[in-house]
Amino acid sequence: MNIVEVKSICKSYPAFRLDDVSFSLEKGKITGFIGRNGAGKTTTIKSMLNLVHADGGEITYFGLPLHGHEMEIKQRIGYSTGTISWYPRKVIREIVDVTKAFYPTWDDEAYRRYMSLFGIDENKKPIELSEGMKVKFNLLLALSHRAEVLILDEPTSGLDPFSRDELLEMFRTLKEHGVTILFSTHITSDIERCADNIVYISNGKIRAASSKADFMQNNGRPGETLEEVFLRLEREVIA
Amino acid sequence: MNALLKKEMRLSALLLTYLFIGFSLMTFCPGYPILCGVFFITLGIFQSFQSAREANDIVYSALLPVAKSDVVKGKYQFVLLIELCGFALMVIFTLIRMTVFASSAAYLHNALMNANPFFLGMTLLIFGLFNVIFVGGYFRTAYNLGKNFVIYIVVAFVIIGIAEALHHFPGLDALNAFGFEHIGLQAALFAAGAAAFAIMTYMSYKKACEDFEKIDL
Repeated sequence: MNIVEVKSICKSYPAFRLDDVSFSLEKGKITGFIGRNGAGKTTTIKSMLNLVHADGGEITYFGLPLHGHEMEIKQRIGYSTGTISWYPRKVIREIVDVTKAFYPTWDDEAYRRYMSLFGIDENKKPIELSEGMKVKFNLLLALSHRAEVLILDEPTSGLDPFSRDELLEMFRTLKEHGVTILFSTHITSDIERCADNIVYISNGKIRAASSKADFMQNNGRPGETLEEVFLRLEREVIA
Repeated sequence: MNALLKKEMRLSALLLTYLFIGFSLMTFCPGYPILCGVFFITLGIFQSFQSAREANDIVYSALLPVAKSDVVKGKYQFVLLIELCGFALMVIFTLIRMTVFASSAAYLHNALMNANPFFLGMTLLIFGLFNVIFVGGYFRTAYNLGKNFVIYIVVAFVIIGIAEALHHFPGLDALNAFGFEHIGLQAALFAAGAAAFAIMTYMSYKKACEDFEKIDL
């Protein structure tokens, strides 16, 4: 069952165009959104959050169009990025205290549980957290309001291999709890480790959107690894 | 208190903004352009906008389950709260100058503006200009602060200069009334300032909602 549908999203900038981007997210599955730097991953994700206004197309969550149901949808989704830190000099407890007032579904018990699981000290400030802990803090906010869909923009960017592995393991645990995850990355091993499905974007166009097995079957050559497939496909696009 | 105003006050605002409300005390300064107190209060608000921008406040707010127009409303509510706190103190200090210090030599021999209802009307006019030029201008991009603030500084100081000098013009000495002299005219000028503030703030808020809806973050 598809819980999120992205249909024919277009967005033009002077030097870049997101062209007819379409894919869907299956409920309770992890989807890796892969593409090189500047391929259009962040623009697509920002369109999915209505931070960027698409020139055309439609996005639906839980069968509801984002346009006209934004508040209702944002109650049920969570967003995290490895590149932005919110209120870096405020104490985490205060950020949480203010944020939870926006979510009727906020679950204090879940907050305590995930805080302990992630090893986050609520008396610290985001600026005092490592990059990996910042991502975990964002996840903590999303999971404490019982987000059913997590949209994560390069959550593993800048993490050391151990922290990356820890985070990907966490994705698998969340998936077991029925959470749907979309995470963008340019690191193929992240996809190999935990993604069920792959959405591959290049130069603003979706080149493939399928299960990992189907992707390899349709695009791979005998003996090729996932990374080798991506590298070859990118070279073909450039050529 | 609604959640967005609470967020503005606890996450987006700097302590400095609250402290700068204290510049309303400048209402008591003899021989000083007392309208500058308004400018310093708005300078405090500017500092909070600057700090909030560095903290990615506007994207954080846009990701919350609220309408984009509510994000604008939260900012305006915060700005109005600070302005009206400063204004309330200025009203109290003006009333003290109009009564207790009505015949004080330090104020009577003041070449600059006196604290009276006309002064209060001018404070509201300058707050209204701040809301139009700076706050409204900010929501055209949600990141550009400097240019709008510089334009506001120029406009604010031109208005301050005119207001401080106006009573020296022939026939306009009633603008600098002491105590409750010319109270009818003074009340009318205050009402005009209040109306200008209300209209400018409302129009600016409406335009900011439209602009913020259109921009990409």
